[in-house]
Amino acid sequence: MFDILPYFFRRALRNMAQSPFLCIAAVATVTVSLTIVAFFVIIVFNVEKITARWSQEVQVVAYLDQVPAPAVLDQRVRDIRKIEGVAEVEVVSREQAFERFRGRLGQHAELLEGVDPQILPASLEISLKPDYRNRQGVENLVAALKARGDLGDLRYGHDWLVRFEAFLGLLRLMGLVLGGFLLFATLFIVSNTIRLTLFVRRDELEIMALVGATPLFIKTPFIIEGALQGLCGGLLSLSGVYLVYRLFLREGLGTLLFTAGGSEVLFLPPAYLVGLIGLGLFLGVFGSLGALRKFVRI
Amino acid sequence: MIQLHNVSKAYQKDSSALDQISLKIEKGEFVYLTGASGAGKSTLLKLLYGGERPNRGQILLDGRNITRMGPRQLPLVRRRLGIVFQDFKLISTRTVFENVAFALEVQGRKRFEISKKVYAALKNVGLEHKLNRRPLELSGGEQQRVAVARALVVDPIVLLADEPTGNLDPETTLELMDLFKSANARGSTVVMATHDRELIRRFPRRVITLDAGRVVEDRHV
Ligand SMILES: Nc1ncnc2c1ncn2[C@@H]1O[C@H](COP(=O)(O)OP(=O)(O)OP(=O)(O)O)[C@@H](O)[C@H]1O
Ligand SMILES: [Mg+2]
Repeated sequence: MFDILPYFFRRALRNMAQSPFLCIAAVATVTVSLTIVAFFVIIVFNVEKITARWSQEVQVVAYLDQVPAPAVLDQRVRDIRKIEGVAEVEVVSREQAFERFRGRLGQHAELLEGVDPQILPASLEISLKPDYRNRQGVENLVAALKARGDLGDLRYGHDWLVRFEAFLGLLRLMGLVLGGFLLFATLFIVSNTIRLTLFVRRDELEIMALVGATPLFIKTPFIIEGALQGLCGGLLSLSGVYLVYRLFLREGLGTLLFTAGGSEVLFLPPAYLVGLIGLGLFLGVFGSLGALRKFVRI
Repeated sequence: MIQLHNVSKAYQKDSSALDQISLKIEKGEFVYLTGASGAGKSTLLKLLYGGERPNRGQILLDGRNITRMGPRQLPLVRRRLGIVFQDFKLISTRTVFENVAFALEVQGRKRFEISKKVYAALKNVGLEHKLNRRPLELSGGEQQRVAVARALVVDPIVLLADEPTGNLDPETTLELMDLFKSANARGSTVVMATHDRELIRRFPRRVITLDAGRVVEDRHV
């Protein structure tokens, strides 16, 4: 075979040079939609990270109305440890609870002067294994504890967990719907711009077919064209997203999400970056394939 | 070289463009296809290069049945044909050289081979000095010679021409006929659709006359 790939590339580049506006339109479409998708991914990615950190603190506290005999207490702790998803059970005695409280008051600790150290109830602090640190895990544990009947009041950060999980779910759903819609629209637009370039070159395509070009030979330059446009769009959106991230997101969104100090907003991890460019490539290639499917029937 | 068996073609259901055509064209023949407008000349040529498919019947080209050929084999058959149209069908954004080279590029020929053959083909039609012009900078006759060069550059076994002289004045028509005759003399089978009775009288060859999709006369010379 002769130097066929450079030939195809030359044809693709020439096509793009001959209809620069169509080319720019396709690249811009890919860029804009990938940028929006990437922002969404950044947000979801970071919110997930925060959730993961917050949920480390998820635990259930069981208050003990009366402190049972040490042997009974030990037995109870052992039983609770056997419940599915339980990582650790810590016994907090009345005195320990009092000490913690005093520690938290800091310089105002003298307020507790003369207060009975037995005034706070003893409790069991039950933490969950990482996989169970979610609403379902907490609810299952609470149900199991309630079923025992020998524990008093149960406290758990259930409410915010429910709300937060709902929020995260909504965010993911929105991302999925919006992203899906965007990508579909982009595919459609890219496909149509390539169809326009096909239309511009329809004489050429007809003549190619007449002099015996195979369908693959006719199509390949256009697929390359689509791939290049998608790639360009992917790279442009990447640099765009990174720029906006550096300028606004890293600090701006950071102060919004992490009120009490903490880490900054993270950029997309490398695998996602590759994925984004891959998505651009996918859009370009399948956009042109879609255009060619309807056009080249010779 | 070319054989048709009971070939029928209808673009719409009720009207048929070709009706049960059977004919045989030998290797090296020069054949005029004539008949009134709408008789089916262009349709017959389209069937021969696979631009349309017959509804019925079989077409053999160089011993191969092209009737049911798939999109992968058909291009390989077309590479051995030369096709010339009334409206030239040149790519206006390409130079004369590139237009002719196109026919070899799609076959994946080597570059130096392409240059050599294209130059020879342009020289054959007397346009080697204009190979960097664009088609629209040329006269109609010159454009048609470029199209002929593109058809002949592949050394076609069959040269199909659909009213190639339709847009040309008598003078250039004669030039073009010389090119067709010499291609025929070099071994290409030629099938030319034409209205031009004067042309047929001047260069008498076998004449197949169509009327309403049927062969009404087949006059061998
Ligand atoms: N693409 C098409 N779709 C529908 N009908 C067509 C098509 N092409 C040709 N026809 C019809 O088929 C018949 C034969 O047409 P064809 O073009 O083969 O005639 P022709 O002999 O080449 O005429 P002309 O001398 O005017 O070029 C005509 O009735 C024409 O209307
Ligand atoms: Mg015609």
